[in-house]
Amino acid sequence: MAANVPSLMRPAAVLPPLVFVVGCAVQVALAFGSPHVRSPAAAVGQAILVGIPVVIGCLLGARAPGTPVGPALSWVGAAPAGVFAIEGWGATAVTAHPWPAAHVVATIEPGVWVWSLAGFVALCLVFPDGLLPGRRWRALAWCAAAAGVFVNAAVALVSFEQVGGRPRPALAAIAFASFGGLLVVLCSAVASIVVRYRRGNTIVRQQMRWLILGAGTVPVLLAAGWVAEFLGASIGFAYAGFIIAMVIFVPASIAVAVLRYDLYDVDRLLGSTIAWLLTSLASAAVFTALVFGATEAIGANSPLSLIGATFVAAIILLPLHRSISNVVGRLVDHERTVILARVQAFVRQVRDGEVEPETTEALMRSVLADPGLRLLVRPPGDPAGSYVDLGGHAVTVPSGATRVPLMTGTTEVGVVVLGAPTARRIRRARDVALQARLPIEVSRLRIELRAALEDAQSSRARLGLATAAERHRLAQDLHDGAQQQIIAVGMRLRSVQRALNPGQRAYDDLEAAVIALAGTVADLRRLAHGVRPSRLEDGLAAALVALVADSPVPVKVTVANVETTEVIATTVYFVVAEALTNALKHAHATAIQVDVERRGERICLEISDDGIGGARTGFGLTSVRDRISSVGGELSLVSTAGAGTLIKVRI
Amino acid sequence: MRILIAEDSTLFREGLARLLVEAGHEIVASVGDARALIEAVAEHRPEFAIIDVRMPPTMTTDGARAARQIRSTHPDLPILLLSQHVETRQSLSLVATGSFGYLLKDRVLRVDDFLDAIRRVANGGSALDPEVVAALLASSRPDGLLNALSPREQEVLALVAEGRSNAAIAENLVVAERTVETHMRSIFQKLRITDSGDNNRRVLAVLATLSNSPATTIDDHK
Repeated sequence: MAANVPSLMRPAAVLPPLVFVVGCAVQVALAFGSPHVRSPAAAVGQAILVGIPVVIGCLLGARAPGTPVGPALSWVGAAPAGVFAIEGWGATAVTAHPWPAAHVVATIEPGVWVWSLAGFVALCLVFPDGLLPGRRWRALAWCAAAAGVFVNAAVALVSFEQVGGRPRPALAAIAFASFGGLLVVLCSAVASIVVRYRRGNTIVRQQMRWLILGAGTVPVLLAAGWVAEFLGASIGFAYAGFIIAMVIFVPASIAVAVLRYDLYDVDRLLGSTIAWLLTSLASAAVFTALVFGATEAIGANSPLSLIGATFVAAIILLPLHRSISNVVGRLVDHERTVILARVQAFVRQVRDGEVEPETTEALMRSVLADPGLRLLVRPPGDPAGSYVDLGGHAVTVPSGATRVPLMTGTTEVGVVVLGAPTARRIRRARDVALQARLPIEVSRLRIELRAALEDAQSSRARLGLATAAERHRLAQDLHDGAQQQIIAVGMRLRSVQRALNPGQRAYDDLEAAVIALAGTVADLRRLAHGVRPSRLEDGLAAALVALVADSPVPVKVTVANVETTEVIATTVYFVVAEALTNALKHAHATAIQVDVERRGERICLEISDDGIGGARTGFGLTSVRDRISSVGGELSLVSTAGAGTLIKVRI
Repeated sequence: MRILIAEDSTLFREGLARLLVEAGHEIVASVGDARALIEAVAEHRPEFAIIDVRMPPTMTTDGARAARQIRSTHPDLPILLLSQHVETRQSLSLVATGSFGYLLKDRVLRVDDFLDAIRRVANGGSALDPEVVAALLASSRPDGLLNALSPREQEVLALVAEGRSNAAIAENLVVAERTVETHMRSIFQKLRITDSGDNNRRVLAVLATLSNSPATTIDDHK
């Protein structure tokens, strides 16, 4: 079974290293053997250089046995190794000790170099998913093979003919045609990459960007080599980078593309690489132009112009880089740029108050295309690992969920839990969370604030309840304790009095004492009533009716059937009492209306009068307001001069 | 009379018992809570019950509730409720039933009035504290019935509601009894009450009119 065969044992995987080994063996034999056609150092150096793609290709083949990318990569090194061997073999034909069949080999040797390109073409055709871009591209593979044969044959024939003088025109035409075909094949191979990129999904594109990143270093380092050579560096030193890029960076980036394309954010890597490259080039150009211009203008190569040019180049470096990064980012890493632009727009809207910061989660879900994403924050003071969503509701994070922590300094303030995690989405989530820091922080603070407010409100309510309970208790104590005792004492005095005759001095004294006691009891009852209106025991309606019964002006009371708590009933009672007092004392009202009704969860109280109006929040109203807010209510006052006063209370 | 006292304050209970005994009554039982009250009524069959509104176990209106229960089981037993302050929620339904009184506790100190109230209630009449009457009048439906009365008539009505006889009213207002009679006729006409002539029934008719027309819905079925 093919699947059970170790990948290295398959013909496609085994052939390139075999060719490489044989080629290297021949090279070594040629270097150290009797017909001394090569230097040992060159042979070993060459073997090492072409060996690197072979090794990487083999490793890739072992890790990803299903794809021909590994063998294709191996061929990038193996094909030149074979070509070098054949060239060396052919070269022995003109030495004193020709190798067996050296003349035959020497015949094909002049054009054999074309096969060095085989690995490159194969790689272009199968990278990154191991499949040809389409059915028609299969023809290209055959055309490539045919072009190789034709070029090889044509070059061999031309060089064979050349021994005797100028080649025949027909032969020259064939040679030109075959070279043209080779060029077309090479261009088509490159075009296949473009086609594949344009048709590819995000993964294919990402993989290809790795290749672009690796391959992109080649011309850059080549250019750097030219500059170094121009400046007088040795050729070996100048082109070392270029060669390393060729044999290490390109194969390595191919391996990464196939095996771990999601390893780093290649788009960003590529984007920033290109951006810095362009920035360097642009500022170098500016520098050169300035130096040149200054030299022309001043006429001398003054250090001043150098300093000035350096200064200007340094100044424009950062803004230049920023604008170049923006442009490059938009081109190379379109998706990220779009996402961050949306997030930035959102942050702006939040800042302008157009959207609520609590919608950050929805935004993140949308931009990251992850409907299962949760944005959770840690309420301050809570133990680690407890999270709430932006609405303030506690949420438990599943243990296996992929989370991206949001940090402030070293403290974790929140977490993004991904519904469909990919390495790419995790990176994007990190970026987005960083950009959306402001709305997230605002949401978190608002949760904190809301909690604090609720705390304050409930503690105020508790205080109100406690106060009401305390008043109740105090009133009861007055009733049950003091009043009862005084009456009991009074009754004893009455008993004593019975034994005396009316008209006696003691009888009259006792009479006066008992009357005084009765007055004290009445006083105590009034006192207790002020602490807590006892009529409230008959319900709020009865208590209000009783309250307004003593009013010198008509008071119309409408109390809908409201069931309230003790605290609220007491509050309403005292508010009405205070408002009545104000209306009578200050507003000179001639008619007062009191309405109490329930609207939904709230008790609404309205007190209106036809007095002089113009009331302002004074001491009386302040204490009323405090009383109302202590039970979580609010008071509004409408009092225009001459138009009466309307007090609205909602609890 | 054989009187039962239900009152949780020992001091008050003893003082009251002493006053009543000195006035020639017999105390058949003194209890301190609502349950003992109901048991004592069944056991001792008193001729009169004086009940504190506020009593254990809940220290709210247990006494008034027990009174209502007793009124349904022993309809002939006259009941006088005592309270530190006016509470009508539980006792309103008893007001117009006759043989019922409701006084604030400190009225006890006016011993003669107090004993007179007991007498009236024992004779099937009514004895309501002025404050209770005020509460009744205040919570009466403001549909114009009471507004139609002149201030003097309202004064007379309040005294009637307290359970007083025409003679007592005349004395109280320092007018001739005939004047009171005139006022009464006018009041009955305005309140659309048929005058039966009998004092007790007149009072009850007035109380029924007052207690059946509260401006607010008062839930007393608790």
